[in-house]
Amino acid sequence: MHAVVAIKQVPDTSNVRIDPETGTLIREGVPAIVNPYDIHAVEAAVQLKERVGGGQVTVITMGPPKAAEALLECVEQGADRAILISDRKFGGADTLATSYVLARAIEVINAEQPVDIIFFGKQAIDGDTAQVGPGVATRLNIPLITYAVAIEEFDLAARRAVVHRRVEQGIEVLETTLPVLLTVEKEIAPVRHAPLPRLIAAARYQPEVWTATSPVPFDPQQIGLKGSPTVVGKAYTPAPRSGGDVLSVAELGLDAVVARAMAVIEQAHVRNLQPVTGVVS
Amino acid sequence: MTGRLTFDAIVVGAGPAGVAAALTMARGGLNVIIIERGRFAGAKNLFGGVFYTHALADVLPDYWERKPPFERPVTEQGYWMLSPDSAIRVMHKSERYLKEPADAYTVLRARFDPWFAEQAAAAGALLITRTTVTRLLKDERGRVIGVDTDRPDGQVYAPVVIIAEGVNNLLTQQAGLIASDLPPKYVALAVKEYINLPAKELQTRFGLSGPREGVAIDVFGDVTLGLPGTGFIYTDQSGISIGVGMLLDEFVTHRLRPYEVLERFKNHPVVRPYLEGGEVREYGAHLIPEMGYDRMPKLAGDGVMVAGDAAGMVDALHREGTNLAITAGKMAGETALAAHQAGDFSAAFLSRYRRKLEGTFVLQDMKQYRRMTDFLESSPQFMGTYVNLLNEAALRYFTAHGIPKRTMEHEILKMVRERRSFTGVAWDMLKLMRAMRG
Repeated sequence: MHAVVAIKQVPDTSNVRIDPETGTLIREGVPAIVNPYDIHAVEAAVQLKERVGGGQVTVITMGPPKAAEALLECVEQGADRAILISDRKFGGADTLATSYVLARAIEVINAEQPVDIIFFGKQAIDGDTAQVGPGVATRLNIPLITYAVAIEEFDLAARRAVVHRRVEQGIEVLETTLPVLLTVEKEIAPVRHAPLPRLIAAARYQPEVWTATSPVPFDPQQIGLKGSPTVVGKAYTPAPRSGGDVLSVAELGLDAVVARAMAVIEQAHVRNLQPVTGVVS
Repeated sequence: MTGRLTFDAIVVGAGPAGVAAALTMARGGLNVIIIERGRFAGAKNLFGGVFYTHALADVLPDYWERKPPFERPVTEQGYWMLSPDSAIRVMHKSERYLKEPADAYTVLRARFDPWFAEQAAAAGALLITRTTVTRLLKDERGRVIGVDTDRPDGQVYAPVVIIAEGVNNLLTQQAGLIASDLPPKYVALAVKEYINLPAKELQTRFGLSGPREGVAIDVFGDVTLGLPGTGFIYTDQSGISIGVGMLLDEFVTHRLRPYEVLERFKNHPVVRPYLEGGEVREYGAHLIPEMGYDRMPKLAGDGVMVAGDAAGMVDALHREGTNLAITAGKMAGETALAAHQAGDFSAAFLSRYRRKLEGTFVLQDMKQYRRMTDFLESSPQFMGTYVNLLNEAALRYFTAHGIPKRTMEHEILKMVRERRSFTGVAWDMLKLMRAMRG
């Protein structure tokens, strides 16, 4: 079994503040962590490897040299191989360029050793787009299951798996062929306390570094800023909502309060409906 | 897990003592593991901020080329003695402080400790973070043979363990080197804030001509409401470290909240202007073991040594600790190297560590000031009465009232008599001298 997990190092957004003037994240002094969903993805891959009785878990990330720290944390959690895709030329990538680089990297890894399953976290907590995983599945032209919460069956011989995915109404149970790409929720696997020997192994491990040209040439037109059509038009902090009116039943009487409340609701309702009525008439 | 995880030496804690020990042993060719519970080396550490380089130079002669993350050299230092509305300031500034590297630097531990740990790692020591040592492993004869951690498969073995666990000395107790928890009478609590200020503004306020000058101020008197303890103000690269330390006992007896004491200090009329407009970026609190020479733990047992705060290696009077820890760590490391050569890890052999330390400032200073903590606690007038008295006297002295000078002198002396009799003063001075001479 060969699983590839794509991860991202992100600023710990529980500590992040927004600069009200520029509308951008203040990253200075904010600790970097493995995107929380991604560490569950790594754990899911490692547990799957244990379940099927062996194999390899390869972790990849695209990011600055510092992102090697995040890879080492994945090695602690049980990953066997870690690849850092890092080059200034990748800088400024949006989700399109990122999905190109990761898909291309996975193709190369697959050529070395066929990949059976690919894991992504459901989204990164810094951008929250949830686009890169699906983008990679599309580029690789393989089945995609988003918001995965459990792998019920995983049959390497028959090349099939049964995966549970979270939807608004409940859980969908899907059968898929392999290879498949999952983007996972945290429930997919609880993160275990890494054993000490794994920490020692990680402390001695050096992730492989792939640049824009070596060992694999990436298409310069599709990476970094050049490969990123996304433009951020504006970023701002929404003004906090003001509190509502407080009507006292004791003072105004129940009927008056209800009448006032209904009036407010009706007014809001009508305002919302206006464009629709416009179309109808 | 197949096989035991075995090293030549285990160091518990990646503070200055542990890192100095690991660095010394790794350079001596031992296979060393440092186990640190924090997210990174120094994550759990805090101190006022003055770091003396002599001990570092001993462990790492080429430290200057390795670009340590110092804040500012200390080129001016001294004391502020606060009364509630005034201050007597005695500062020493000298051109002779202006050298590179300087004798002392202000330091932020969150920056310094990771750098120091990196040097040990570069020498070959293995640094494992986010892992807590939960107990010592002992053989049937009670000799320490390794440690257990909070990780699965978390046991590590080595013929020698150096405990540098810090003030919370649970393992030192487990090793049988000290009998019990430190009593609150011998533990100080320090609270500190780091206040950000643009370097230019900071330099103007403190009269510094550039980034290669810095100030270290120890503050007495009203800063601790006249109770035994001190405050401090240190200039960092682009900010101020300000804090207060008092014995835990005093906080409890007088029902003081540490952060309120600090807030009061920050709002003292003499202090406030220095901080104005600054933004608090960090705050923290830490315990300091001030048990003194007579209550230090035994420093070695079978297969085990202890260094740094865990061993109470603090000279509270001179706000020193980090340098004691580094020197002690180095001595413990050297002793472990010798033990490996001799193949002898018994308490008898490892007791060389203490003898080495007796030949250094570490134990000599601690011995000299052995009575200091008791003295200050038994003589609260030093921080209260005398400091206020000095401020009052200064006010009379520096103000012209149209009173003859002779009368003024009498008034000052009368004030002294009223607040503390002449015999009281004489007695206090005698006690102070005895406490200083050890």
